Amino acid sequence: MTLGQNSPGRDLKDRYLVLGGLMLLGLLVLAVRTYRLQVTRFDEYSQKSAANFVKEVRLRADRGSILDASGQLLAENRPSFDLFLTPAFCQKCQEEVLPRMVALLGWDAASLPTLFDQYKTQRRNGTFQATRLKVDLSTEEVELLSAHQLELPGIDVEPVAHRQYKAPRKDKAAKREVEGAGAPPATYLSHVLGYMNEITQEELDKRATGGDTTYRLGDYIGRRGLERFYEQKLRGVDGWRKEVVNARGESLPELSRLLGEQERRKEPTRGADLQLSIDLRLEEEAERIFPGRAGAVVVVEVNTGFILAMLSRPGYDANMMSGRVSPAEMAKLFKDPLQPMVFRPVAQHYSPGSTFKVVTALAALRSGQFTAKNTVSCPGGYRMGSRFWRCWQDRGHGVVWAKTALQHSCDTYYYHVADVLGLDPIARVGQELGLGQPTGIGVVAEVPGIMPTSEYHDRVTPGGYTKGMALNAAIGQGDDNVTPLQLALLYATIANGGTLYKPQLVRRIIGIDGKVKEELQPVVARQVEIDPEQRAVVVDALSAVVNEVGGTAYRSRLPDLLVAGKTGTAQVRALGAVRVKKENMDYFERDHAWFASFAPADTPEIAVVVLNEHGGHGASDAAPIATALIRKYFDLRREDALKRGDLAAAAAVPGKPPEARTEQVPTRVAATAGPALEPGEPAGPAVPATIVPPPTEPPPPEPTAAPAPQDTGEPATPEPLTGPAAGRGEG
Amino acid sequence: MQLGIEKRMVPHIPWALVVTVVLISLLGLYNLASASRPPGSVWTTQALYLGAGMVAALAVALFDLRFIYRMTPWVYGLNILALLALHKLGHTAKGAESWFVLGPFRLQPAEFMKVGILMMLARYFHESYRPTDDTYGLRRLWVPGLIIAVPTALVLIQPDLGGALMIALSSATVVLFAKPKRWIVITLALVMASGSVVIWNDYIREQGETPHYLVRSHLKKHQSNRISGWLDPETDLRGSNYHAAQSRIAVGSGGLWGKGWRNGTQTMLSFLPEQHTDFIFSVWAEEHGFFACLLLIALYGVALVLTLGVAFDSKDRFGAFFAVGAAALLFWQVFENMGMIVGVLPVTGITLPLMSYGGSSLMSVMLMIGLLVNISMRRHMF
Repeated sequence: MTLGQNSPGRDLKDRYLVLGGLMLLGLLVLAVRTYRLQVTRFDEYSQKSAANFVKEVRLRADRGSILDASGQLLAENRPSFDLFLTPAFCQKCQEEVLPRMVALLGWDAASLPTLFDQYKTQRRNGTFQATRLKVDLSTEEVELLSAHQLELPGIDVEPVAHRQYKAPRKDKAAKREVEGAGAPPATYLSHVLGYMNEITQEELDKRATGGDTTYRLGDYIGRRGLERFYEQKLRGVDGWRKEVVNARGESLPELSRLLGEQERRKEPTRGADLQLSIDLRLEEEAERIFPGRAGAVVVVEVNTGFILAMLSRPGYDANMMSGRVSPAEMAKLFKDPLQPMVFRPVAQHYSPGSTFKVVTALAALRSGQFTAKNTVSCPGGYRMGSRFWRCWQDRGHGVVWAKTALQHSCDTYYYHVADVLGLDPIARVGQELGLGQPTGIGVVAEVPGIMPTSEYHDRVTPGGYTKGMALNAAIGQGDDNVTPLQLALLYATIANGGTLYKPQLVRRIIGIDGKVKEELQPVVARQVEIDPEQRAVVVDALSAVVNEVGGTAYRSRLPDLLVAGKTGTAQVRALGAVRVKKENMDYFERDHAWFASFAPADTPEIAVVVLNEHGGHGASDAAPIATALIRKYFDLRREDALKRGDLAAAAAVPGKPPEARTEQVPTRVAATAGPALEPGEPAGPAVPATIVPPPTEPPPPEPTAAPAPQDTGEPATPEPLTGPAAGRGEG
Repeated sequence: MQLGIEKRMVPHIPWALVVTVVLISLLGLYNLASASRPPGSVWTTQALYLGAGMVAALAVALFDLRFIYRMTPWVYGLNILALLALHKLGHTAKGAESWFVLGPFRLQPAEFMKVGILMMLARYFHESYRPTDDTYGLRRLWVPGLIIAVPTALVLIQPDLGGALMIALSSATVVLFAKPKRWIVITLALVMASGSVVIWNDYIREQGETPHYLVRSHLKKHQSNRISGWLDPETDLRGSNYHAAQSRIAVGSGGLWGKGWRNGTQTMLSFLPEQHTDFIFSVWAEEHGFFACLLLIALYGVALVLTLGVAFDSKDRFGAFFAVGAAALLFWQVFENMGMIVGVLPVTGITLPLMSYGGSSLMSVMLMIGLLVNISMRRHMF
């Protein structure tokens, strides 16, 4: 059959209508559906579309700096180039990209398995999120990577702000190591400042449930110290910028017109700066002169509670801890028997040794059963019942009274006081002065220490409280435990006449515009009732410890400044019948050397506590450091006043400028303030009027006179006690 | 064989159809110019294909229809051979062997097969027509059944589910148009119903620990995922359903007036997959909005009506059936393609005729149009 030979047939005509109708119906369905998408549900899809391509890029706020009292930077931000890996964009990552990168950078091939692990972990956690492979790339590494960027898909170098903590200059540190003055600090004030590292997923989750979603994975967060305590203030507020991205997440700045009228940028707000009360110059001096392998130094303002210096040795390297520490190094830090991670001034407590005797002395005077003139005879120990408590000086101190007992650190006198009073009146004074409870410093974690009472012993000691415990506690042994900061505040409270301040590290918080946002005021923790006359007795005795012949710290006296202080040699281990020389003992069994002091004795300004762990004797291994720091403090005061050109203020600073500096100081002033200062002019009262010679005491020799013969014998022998209850100190 | 055009044919050239088709093609080019992603510029290539397609359509229109009628079995046979050869020589793209690579060109035989089948079916229904018995029973339908089944099977095993579906649907439309016996229609309806049951059982019904699948276990995973993605669009946005979700976002965010030419964010920023081929309609919808979509749908409607008009005016069954087949093919492709983009049908690899980028698709549509013009202008010749 060929074409044209049959008609298509009439029957078809109706079917065209049906077919055409059905087809148009189909198209109508499409049109209706399109209407529903484009008109009815336009808003919904419009939003979804915007969510697709508009990406909010976070603009990180700069973290605030931490400054010392004079404005020197202790912690600041430093640009660093970090290496990141985004698994989603890294094809053949383990087979090609990572080995190529390691070869390119000349890294050890042994680092590959770690990188593979990181890649796999991140691929599980979020394949579109970048993980940090390395911090602080060198300039050469950055250049190599950017030159070979195309061969390394998924590998990115990003500039990131890292925290930089002040460290001693390298040459100084090396020199000190040669001199053997203990390990050099890696960074200053590492425990006070703290450090920063990456926030963990658990912390993120926890914060998210608390409503805080401002952190992202990979962010650094403050750990320990001020960085942790002031995290919110230092951190600032992040801003954001909206940008157009494609389906692969790549940013397309040339298409920003697609954003339309939306707000495109919000600037970040920099975090606030912290200005500390700590004076870095004083801190550096403490680091420089502190001789021990371990220990603590606290310098606190007597009339405000602000801390001027706070040394904890050994420290750690806060820069290394901020994201650069390997697990092995971390383990080493925590296994170190010297415990570098423990912040000794507040987070560790020690037997105070004889430095505690001021508490016993105050308790004795307050009880009314002892006056300043009551005497006790010391035959070299004290017998109570069948037991004999030894005084540190076996040949005895002869007749002693309140002042001389403290001056010579005669144990027998305090055994007698404890025997008469019992433990609780002593403990009450100790507690009022802040022992056995946290100081409330807040910034760093602290331990409360122990101020034993009879109730305490009934609770924790088998057999309960006995008087022997009071005798041990009276001389700062037994269960007495204090932190160096507590002791410093205790001495400061005696110095200022009874105001116990809360210790503070931050002087002011400074906003971005340089304006002070918040000036922190001294906070009084408690007013302690101290009778002025009784206080005068104790202060006089403390001054005699340093400034009068026979005082245990007489060798550390300052020629023109009256320091009041008390030595302590806290026993770490119970002694046997024979006293062993320090050199023959294991390091961790040697005594702790203490010196607690304030100055000037008549108008106190600062309190200084030095603890030289396992250092030996308070008189020889702690007191010289404390008095040197006191001198440094007043030198700095004078220097600052001269710099300001305030001659009157400089002249009012107690103590004399050291001989070596008298040449320099006036020339510096000449440049700024015109008329030169008389070089030899005394800058303060050389001999205070408050020292009242005791009735039977020979007049004190001239401060410049040669040491008296009895002075030499004291520090050579340890200052212990014996008996079963002894040696509760800790190591 | 007669090649050429005579004066009396000119008034019967379906100008409206030609103009509609050219209009849609030009809109397609304009749209492709926006969907092009640098560095390639698909729209210039498409313009070349369009030019070549028009020349081919003109050539087909100039042939004597009787010659084409005679050559139909050869055309059909050559297409079958091409599909067979594809399994030996084909180029594999996205897991399917669909292409011949000829120098810079890639030929997709399945596209031409669609036209071949329609010609063969038209020829069969022309030849087998008996004015005394105008219904088709099983005895007269096994031949067209075979004509349909062989290429459908060949395309299906490529595997190209979408292509096979198009062949089957358009052929079935032609067969139904030929008025088969009632029980055959009922049987077909039953097949459709059972298909629905299978989909309900395999994809919709909540199955327990040990699911009983009728067909699902025999499908390739990506095919199965497309069906489930269509049925439940909100699951697995990044996965198999990503295409469907993104294309709906593109359409929906277009609104009444669209985002503007080359301003579609879904298009520009690569959120749309296959944007210049299967998903070209999303680009149009996103950038030009609802009214432009209505316009495009209306243009397709006009083209369909005019194609059916060619069939209506045809003086023989070959022309009528071919035109009906052409309309059916056009309809099913438009319906399935737009349907998947607006989310009423599952995602299958179907191009939108005249809009999607692709030489073979455009060429086959143009050949079809050429044949329609031929049928229309020669209707009084014989």
